[in-house]
Amino acid sequence: MIVPVASKDDARATTRALASHVDSVAGTVVAVHVIEKAGGAPDKASVEQRERDTEEMFDIVRAQLEEYDVDLETEILYGTDVAETIVEAAHEMDASSIVFTPRGGSRWIRLLAGDVALSLISESDLPVVVLPDEPEVEDG
Amino acid sequence: MSAGDQELARDLGFLEAYTIGLGTMIGAGIFVLPSIAANQAGPASMVSFFFGGMVSLLAALSLSELATGMPKAGGSYYYVNRALGPFFGSIVGWGMWAGLTFASAFYMIGFGQYFLSGLGSYVPFLAESELGITVAALVMAAMLTGVNYYGVKETGSLQNVIVLSLVALILAFLALGALSGPTIGEFNPSGWPAVAATIGTVYVSFIGFEVIATSAEEIKNPSRNLPLAMIAAVVTPTLMYVGVMWVSTGTLSIGALDASNIPVADVAAEFLRGFASAIPFVSVSPGALGAAGSIAMIVGAVLATISSANASILSAARVNFAMGRDKILVEWLNEVHDRFRTPYRSITATGVITLVLIAVGAGIGTLAEVASFMYLVTYALVHVAVVVLRRAEPADYDPTFQIPSVLYPFVPILGALACLAVLFQMVVTFEPMVLLGEGVVGVEIALPFTLSVVGIIGIGIIVAGIAWYYTYARDRAPSQSLVGDAIAPEPAAAADSEGRYRVVVPVANPETERDLLRMAAASAHAHEDDNAELIAVNVIEVPQQTSLSQDVAFEEERVERQQELLSAARDIAAELDIGLRTRAIVGRDTGSVILDVIEEEDADHVFLGWKGSRSTREHVLGSTIDPVVGRASCDATLVKLGPEETPGEGDIMVLAGEGPHAPVAARRAAEFVTTAGEDATLTLLNVQQPSEDGDEDQSPRERGEALIDDLAERAGIEYMQYDRQVVIAEDIEEAILEAAIDYDTICVGATRSGPVTQAVFGSVPEAVGEEVDRTVVMARGPEESTMSIREAIARRLSV
Repeated sequence: MIVPVASKDDARATTRALASHVDSVAGTVVAVHVIEKAGGAPDKASVEQRERDTEEMFDIVRAQLEEYDVDLETEILYGTDVAETIVEAAHEMDASSIVFTPRGGSRWIRLLAGDVALSLISESDLPVVVLPDEPEVEDG
Repeated sequence: MSAGDQELARDLGFLEAYTIGLGTMIGAGIFVLPSIAANQAGPASMVSFFFGGMVSLLAALSLSELATGMPKAGGSYYYVNRALGPFFGSIVGWGMWAGLTFASAFYMIGFGQYFLSGLGSYVPFLAESELGITVAALVMAAMLTGVNYYGVKETGSLQNVIVLSLVALILAFLALGALSGPTIGEFNPSGWPAVAATIGTVYVSFIGFEVIATSAEEIKNPSRNLPLAMIAAVVTPTLMYVGVMWVSTGTLSIGALDASNIPVADVAAEFLRGFASAIPFVSVSPGALGAAGSIAMIVGAVLATISSANASILSAARVNFAMGRDKILVEWLNEVHDRFRTPYRSITATGVITLVLIAVGAGIGTLAEVASFMYLVTYALVHVAVVVLRRAEPADYDPTFQIPSVLYPFVPILGALACLAVLFQMVVTFEPMVLLGEGVVGVEIALPFTLSVVGIIGIGIIVAGIAWYYTYARDRAPSQSLVGDAIAPEPAAAADSEGRYRVVVPVANPETERDLLRMAAASAHAHEDDNAELIAVNVIEVPQQTSLSQDVAFEEERVERQQELLSAARDIAAELDIGLRTRAIVGRDTGSVILDVIEEEDADHVFLGWKGSRSTREHVLGSTIDPVVGRASCDATLVKLGPEETPGEGDIMVLAGEGPHAPVAARRAAEFVTTAGEDATLTLLNVQQPSEDGDEDQSPRERGEALIDDLAERAGIEYMQYDRQVVIAEDIEEAILEAAIDYDTICVGATRSGPVTQAVFGSVPEAVGEEVDRTVVMARGPEESTMSIREAIARRLSV
C-alpha cells in the first residue's frame, strides 16, 4: 500500500492511525511525499530544502513504525499535481491501495493550499482508504 | 538519492529558465530608470546601460561555470561560500539578501509610480502623490509576501505569457519609437564621469539573471540550458535598455523625462501622437492614440515590476536556505510550512524588511543603487571564486560549462576589475574634501574623495556581514575555504590532468587485497606509466535505521579494521610503485557509494574482487558487485583469484567469443601480459561447433582464426605476440571449461551489455567463474548511460 504524507505533523498523524490498524496491514508500506513542482516557473521553495524536510517526515514514520512488524519503504515523488502524482506512483509500484488521514483545515486554507484529500478520492482509480485521525496519546 | 530522482525535480527547460531571468530583468529598471538616467547623463546613458550589460555578461560567464559545476540552490552565495569560506560567505549572503530586499523595494515603488499614474486619470486625488505611491507599494509588497507565504501556485505558462507579452510590448515600443524618428540633442551633456556614475545607478536592472543561478537545482540539463539562458537573459535586455534609452531621450527632452514618474509611458504617448494621421479608414485623435500607448506601457510596467519583485522574494528565500544549510544563518528561519510547503519564515522576514525599506522613503534612486552595490560586490567575489575553484580543483567540482580557454583568466580578472571600478565610482565622489587650506602649512591638505550615501549604506551592510561572521557564523560554519588549495594546489591535484588513468579498487578482504591491487596496478601501468592512479575504497555499511555518525561511534572495531585495510593498501602501492589514494567512507549502501566514488573521481576503471561462489540468497554476483558492475559508467573488471602465488602472470587466455565486451577482455589480458613481461604468454581461444554439411567456404578452424584476428584488431592488440587456439566441439561451454585448465588466468568478456543486474556476465562467464579453479577475470566496457550524453554535450559546450 502507498501512504502519502504531507508534512511532519501529517506524518505523525498518519503513522499513528496506521499503527492502530497494523493488523490489517499486509505487504509493504511505501511512504511517499510529493514535492510539488511549478512546472515551468520557479518553485515556491527550494527543492533541496523540501527534500530535507521530507527526510525528516520519513524519519518520523520510520521511528513510529519501528516496533511493528511492517516492511517500510520510502520514496520522494515529484510532480505538478500532488494527487495525480500519488496515483501514478501507486500504479507504478503496483500498490493495492492508497492510505492516508485527512488533514482537515478550514475552507479558506483548503482554497489556498488545495484539497489534496478530495482530489485523491475523486481521481484515484485504486482503492483509497481514509483512516480517521486518532488523538495523540500523551506518554506522561 | 539517486541521480534519476534528481532529474525528476528538474522541470525548467531553456525557455522557462530564460523567461524567468528575463522576467526579473525586465522590471522596474527599464520602466523607471530612463528618467533618472536621462537626468544624470542625458542620451549618453545608453552607454551606461551598455556597459552595465557588459559587466553582467562577464558575471554571467563566471556564474555559468560555477553553476554548472555545482547546480545547487543559493546561487552566487553558495559558490562564494564554497570557494572563499564563510567569511566571504557571510558578506555575500547578507549582501545578496539585502540587495534583493532593496531591489524588491525599488520594484515596488516603481510599481506604485506606474500604478497610481494609471489610476490617477480616474481618481485624481491619488495621482502622483508621494504618499499614494508609498501606500500602493506597501500594499503590493504585502500582497506578494502573502502570495509567497501561502505558496499560491504559479504556472509556467502564465510566466511565459507575461514575459513574452512584455518583450512584445517593448519591441513594439522600440519599433514605433524608431519609426517616429527620434532626434537626439546633445549626446553627452554631463560628461563621461556622469556616464560612468550612471552605470552604478542602472546596474540594478541587470541583477535579474542571478535568479537563474539561484534556481539552478531546478533546471533541466543544466550544462546546456543554464549558460545559454543566463547569457541570453543578459544580452536581450541589454539591447532593449539601450534601445529604450535611445527612443526616450530622442522623443522627450531631458527635463520632461526627469520630471516624469512614468517616463516610458509618456514617451509612448508622445511619439504615438504622430501616428494618428497615418491610421487608414478610421480617424483617431492623436490624444486618444497617445493615451492608448501610455496605458499599454503602464500595464506592462505594472506586470513587470510585480514579476521582478516576486522573483526577488523567492530568490531571497533560496539564499536564506543556502545560508542555513551552511550554518551561517539560523536554521529556524528555513522551516518549511507544514501546510503550504513554503519557507514561510524566510519569506516573511524578506517581506517585512522590504516593507520597512519602502516605508522609510529612502528614495527610488538610492534603493536602486544600494541593490546595485550589493550585487557588484557579489559578482566581484564570484569572479574570484571561479579562479579559486579552477586552481583548487575540489573533487566534487566538475563544471560542464567552462569559460572558453582563450578567455579564461581574462574574463574573471576583467570582470572583477569592472565590478570594482563601478563600485569605486559609486562610493567615491571626486570632490576633494579640503581638510587644511593652503594658508596654514603652505600646501593644501585634502582628502581626495568623499563617500556617497550609497557607499555608506553598502559598506555598512558589508560591515554587518563581517560582524555577523565573527559573532555567529565563525563558531558554527565549517571553514572550507579553498583559497589555500588554490594558491598552493596539492601536488596530487596538480598532476590531475584530464588524461590521468584512474582505477577504483574497492577493498574489503585483507587476504585478497594485495593480489587485487597488484592486478589493478598492472592494468593501470599499461595505460600510463607515470600518472596512473589507484583509489582504494572501503565502505562501512550502516543500516538505514541508524544515523551515520551515531553508528560509527559504536563501531570502533569496524573503523579500526577499515584503517588497517587502507594502510595496508598504501604499503602495497608503495611496493608496486603506483600512485594510490585511499578513501574511507561510511555509507548506507556499499554499491551506491562505490558508484558515487567512480563518478566523483571520474574513474576510468573499477576493479572488484569476487569470491566466485554462488550463494543461494544473493544472486551470483552478490549485492555489492551487482549494481557496481551493472551501472558503472567506466570499464568494470571482476576478478576471482585463483590458487597460484601471483595471479595475472603466467599463461593468460582470452575467450575470443563474439560478445560485445570480448575486446575489453582481450585488452585486459594484454595489459597483464605487458606488465608481467617475460613471465607471461597470451592466448586467444575460440570454440567453434563442427560445421554440419561443410558447405561454407571456411572450415570451422579458419572461421575461428579469423574471428580471433578480428578480435585482436578490435582490441587494438594486434601488434602483440599471441597464440591462436581454436577448439572444435559440440558443447561450447564444456569445451571452454576443459581448455581453461591449461592456463593460469582466464579473461572473459561480459556477454550481456544491458543493465540487467542479475546476470551481467551471462551464462558462459558465470560457469567459468564458478567451475574453473583458476584466476578468472571478467571484463566489461563502459556502460552506456545518461552520463555519456551529458559528457558529450559538455564537451561541445566547453569548445
